Order: sequence, then structure tokens, then C-alpha cells
Amino acid sequence: MRYLHILVIGALILAASFVYKIKFDSTLQAEQVAKLHGELRRERNAVATLRAEWAKLDTPSRIQALADRHLDLKPVKPRQFANFDDLPMRPLEVVPPLSGDPISAMLRLSAPETTGSLPAPTAAPR
Amino acid sequence: MPQAASPSETRWQRLVRSLLYGRGVDRRVKAKARLGLAIVAFAGIYAAIALRLVIFAEQSEWHGAHRTVSQDAVATARPDILDRKGRILATDVKAPSLYAEPRKLIDADEAEELLTATMPDLESKELRERLTSKRGFVWLKREITPKQEQEIHRLGIPGIGFLSENKRVYPNGPTVSQVIGLVNIDNQGIAGMEKWLDGQGLAALHMAGLASDRLQRPVQLSLDLRAQYALRDELAKAREKFKAKASAGVILNVNTGEIVALVSEPDYDPNNPREANDPSRINRMTTGVFEMGSTFKVLTVAMALDSGKATLRSTFDASHPLHYGRFAIHDYEPKGRALSVPEIFTFSSNIGAARMALAVGVEGHKAFLKKMGQLDRLRTELPESAEPLVPKHWGELNTVTIAFGHGLSVAPLQAAMGVAATVNGGLLIRPTFLKRSEAQAMRIARRVLKAETSRDMRYLLRLNAEKGTGTFANVDGYYVGGKTGTAEKVVNGHYAKHKLLTDFMAILPADKPKYLVLILLDEPQAVPGTHGFATAGWNAGPTAGKVIARVAPLLDLEPRFALPKSDQLILANAVSSR
Repeated sequence: MRYLHILVIGALILAASFVYKIKFDSTLQAEQVAKLHGELRRERNAVATLRAEWAKLDTPSRIQALADRHLDLKPVKPRQFANFDDLPMRPLEVVPPLSGDPISAMLRLSAPETTGSLPAPTAAPR
Repeated sequence: MPQAASPSETRWQRLVRSLLYGRGVDRRVKAKARLGLAIVAFAGIYAAIALRLVIFAEQSEWHGAHRTVSQDAVATARPDILDRKGRILATDVKAPSLYAEPRKLIDADEAEELLTATMPDLESKELRERLTSKRGFVWLKREITPKQEQEIHRLGIPGIGFLSENKRVYPNGPTVSQVIGLVNIDNQGIAGMEKWLDGQGLAALHMAGLASDRLQRPVQLSLDLRAQYALRDELAKAREKFKAKASAGVILNVNTGEIVALVSEPDYDPNNPREANDPSRINRMTTGVFEMGSTFKVLTVAMALDSGKATLRSTFDASHPLHYGRFAIHDYEPKGRALSVPEIFTFSSNIGAARMALAVGVEGHKAFLKKMGQLDRLRTELPESAEPLVPKHWGELNTVTIAFGHGLSVAPLQAAMGVAATVNGGLLIRPTFLKRSEAQAMRIARRVLKAETSRDMRYLLRLNAEKGTGTFANVDGYYVGGKTGTAEKVVNGHYAKHKLLTDFMAILPADKPKYLVLILLDEPQAVPGTHGFATAGWNAGPTAGKVIARVAPLLDLEPRFALPKSDQLILANAVSSR
């Protein structure tokens, strides 16, 4: 009988401490959740602010002002659009096989090209 | 005998018994024990009180935290507004606002001094009034900077606090202002799409205090930010160049009714709401009504062709001015002979257009314009709209003048909708500012013209850009078609010769139209380079050309060259089928 009592009391204490532990853990978890929620909200607000800032920096009027000031680019003319089908094959550039340095010969061949915004190179100063 | 403890009693019980009740026990020991018991009892009670206090303190703190969460929603969170490619047009950011609780203030004078010292833009008198009021809560300043928040926080004035509020920002400034509209300080929409948003249930959400969440779905508009900016930039340049009072423009997708860009200049910066109330900054595309001038001939000719009263080969007599009572209808450049329908269109003959309308008759004309949506208020998502000015008694003279665009004032967007219907195959589609697919558009589209009529109109519009009044708008590569319109403005009941409203309707590409570009200039002046003219062909037309050259690549239109003339490309099918 006495052993039974001791056993029951022991079980009771065990159960109580277990329940206490669970309660404590859940409180801890709830706090964690609240903290994460707060963090999430802060992050979202920060993201929104950054997105707004990005949009402001990316606004066309600002880009145009910057482009006008710093770039030589001009608006594309309709004639400057082309399909891939319209492109001719690239002319074959042959490196003479017996030249002294084939790599430097190849580099020399791929001189900068003329485009709508890159003017043709002027004659070298004498 | 009390002392003779029964064996069942434990030693502890025996001790207690003997201490409290035993006669043989020493009175001092007994008193001590009772005192001890009392001490234990009182200590227990005090401990309970202390514990309860701690719980109270904790709880009230928790309440406070809860309150700030709900107060985040003071200014409603609004969904973001995006353009058709997902670029941000309007968004929310959090901004701190300064408030005071006057009942909690200890020294209002000191608080006022400290606050005005840190924020000189606070009005001292007004601030004092607010701080000394008996109210529980007053705003001191909405939307302060984080730096100011820091400084005031450091002052440590009791009864002064901050709330973080949603602040609406428009990163593109005035570029899209006429469409987006703006919000007031409480983040409620007061104009444009912002107001429309509130009408979509957002206001009710706000009332219920549920609109604090950022997770609302963004609203996607039909606008293209880059096209919008290009249009605005060109219109601003045109307004400056031609010294016009105002300029406006719209780019409309004729197959879906989506408005890809809409500008009315001068406009305002929605980040600075004070500008918005200026009446000269109204949205002329939807809120203003104008006599559209010769662009209305597009509708007149379409009507005559569709009714079967005329074909492209019919001729109408334009040899003499048309007399009506004391009015005489003249041509801008009289030819003095009978003109065919394409000639009437490309010469922009008033007499010819009037005769075409008369051939259909007054009732037919009226019914046609009604069908084309020109006589009723056009409602889009924008809350601002204007009723067209329709003559009360519509007689033959009215039909004659309306045939060439005088005597009926409509919103320009409305006219654009009508012209779009004449070129997209004959379907009237209500314009929208929201993204819409072609299938959705087909569901609400209404057939108003035969497909053949629409083809003939495309031909006429292209012809006009090849050799008529619209040549200045013809951008090589995009097969533009278009029609000019010049209307004299009514001043004190009379048409004023030098107060003009010029407009241009362009379609591109004319053989299979995708977009309609409408440019409108209010009172442009003759400037060097226009040979003393201020008519549409010299200002609105070239502006449309510039806009098209800039916008077409942004709208994924492929330039095509070496296309045949309009009579071969557009009318070819017709000839072969006849």
C-alpha cells in the first residue's frame, strides 16, 4: 500500500513537472513566434521601402536625365532594328597560317566595329 | 489524556497537537507557535499580493504592445499599383507620425518649447493649443523623418509618442499622375485609380480596421510606364514648342481597349497634393469635352460607308459652299468640283463630309453616333468623367456641322474609342485602365460596323498619311495611318479664329492596327517652322509622329519596310473578292 502511494505521488510529481515543462516550452515557442512575426513585419516594411526606392531610382525621367548627361547613346531609329534572318553570314576572316604570331593577328582582325552609337574610327593623327 | 498519543498519530501531528492544545505545554512555547503560524499566513498573503502585482505589470505591458499593433492601421494599407509589366506606380512605405496625449503631459509649455526647438516647422501657437487641449489624443505632425523621430525620442517628453503609419509614395512623380490620382493624409483615395480602388471594397475594409495587412494583392494596370513616360516627354516638348495651353495624348490598344498610356499635361506631382487642385491641371482626356474637328470625319465617312449610301467610288458635290440660313460651310482648301470619298477624306473637305452625313439623314446620324458611344458619358475606372455636350434640338444644321466635328463636344478618349471601332474590324470596346486580354475584350465588344467598312477606313486613314493631311505623322517603318483635326474654340458663343484645338488620330500599323495614338493640343500657336499655320497637320501631326517613333519599339512593334501602298496592301483582298 505504501509503495503504491509512493508510486502515485512520484507519478504525480513527474506528470506535474512534465506539464510544467510543456507549458514553459509553449510559452517560449509563442514568444519565438511573436518575435518572428515582428521580424517578418520589419523585413516586409524594409522590402517595401527598398522597392519604393528602387522604383524611384529606376523611374524613366531620372534615367533619361542621367543618360542625357553621361551617355552618347541616341534613340534607336526604325532602320536599326533587324531580324536574325536578315543578318548575312559573318565574312570569313582568314589568318595567314604562316604568320609569326597567329593570336595577335586574330586580335588585330577584330577591330572595334561601327554601330549607330559608335562612330567609325577617324583617320589616325599623323 | 491528551498526551497519551494514539499510536496512529505521527510525530509531527503529535507535536502540533501538544503545542496548540496541550495543557502541559509551556504557555510561551504555545504563544510562539501561534505567532509563527500568523507570520506564515501573512507572509503567504503578501506573497500572493506581490505575485498578483507582477502579473498585472506584465499584463498591462502586453496590452500596450497589442495597442501599437492595431494602431499600425491608422492610415490604411493600400495595395500596390503596378504597370502592365510589373513596375511600381504606387506603393506604401511606413513613416512615423508624432502624436501627444495631453492628459499625460506633465508640463505642456516645456514640451512645446522642446518640440519647436527640434522641429522648427511646427507652428508654435497651434502646437500649444493642441498640447493644452483636454483631448486624450492629438496628432502633432504626420509623417516625420526617422531622424526627427530619433531626436524627439531623445528629448524624453512624457505623453509624446510615435505611431508608424502607411505613407503612399509615387516613385514616378507626375508621369502617371492623371491616371493614378492621389490619396489624402489618411491614405484614402481622392482621385483617379486610387479612388476607384477605394470603391472596390477597400474603404469598407478600412472601416472594419482590417486593411492593415500588407498582403493585399497588387493591382495591375494596362499602362506601360515607359510608353507613358515617352508620351509625356514628347507632349511636354510639343507644348513648349507650340506654346500651347495644354497637351494631352492617349495610346489605346484597339483590339483590347486597354489604355497603354494616357497623359494630360500640365499635370501634377501626386507626392505634393497641393498642386492637384489647380483647375488647369484637369485630365483633358476624360474630364474635358471638346469639339474634335475633322477627326470626327472618320466617324462620318464610316457611317456613310456602313449604311451603304456611299462606297469608296462615290462622289459628292463640293463645288460650292453649303448654305444653311445665315451659315455657310466652306472648305479649308476649296477644290470647286465633285470629290470622291477618298478625296473628301484626304483633302478634309467639310462640304463633302456634310453631304455624306446628309445622305444618311439626321435620324440615322444621331442613331449612329449613339451606337458609337459618342452621345453618352463614357465611364471607365476613373471616377472623373464628363458628359458630352449634345445639341438639344438636333436639326439638319447640327448634322452638317457635327459631320466635320463641330457642334458636338465629346471627351477625347470617347472619340478615340469610336475611331478605334472603325479600324479594328468594327467592334466597339469600352476602354479600360486595367489589364485585359483579347478574349476578355471580345466578351464585352459590340459589333457596330461591318468588317468591310473597317477595312475601307483603314485604307482611307493610311491613304491620308501617304498623301493627305497626315504626312507629317508618317513614321517610316510603322505603316502609320491618321487623320488630323482642327477645331476653333468657342469663346463667348462665337468661334474664335485664333484659338484652336488641334488633334491627331493615328493608327499603327494601318494594315492590321494594334494601337491608336491620339494627340491633342490646346491653343497651339504658329511658330517658326510652321509657315504661320497652327492647324493640326503642323503641330499635332508631327508630335504624333515623334511619339510613334519613340513608343513603337517599346510596344514591341516590328518596323517593316518596303511595304506596298495602301491601295495594294489593304484593299487587295477586297479587289480579289469582288
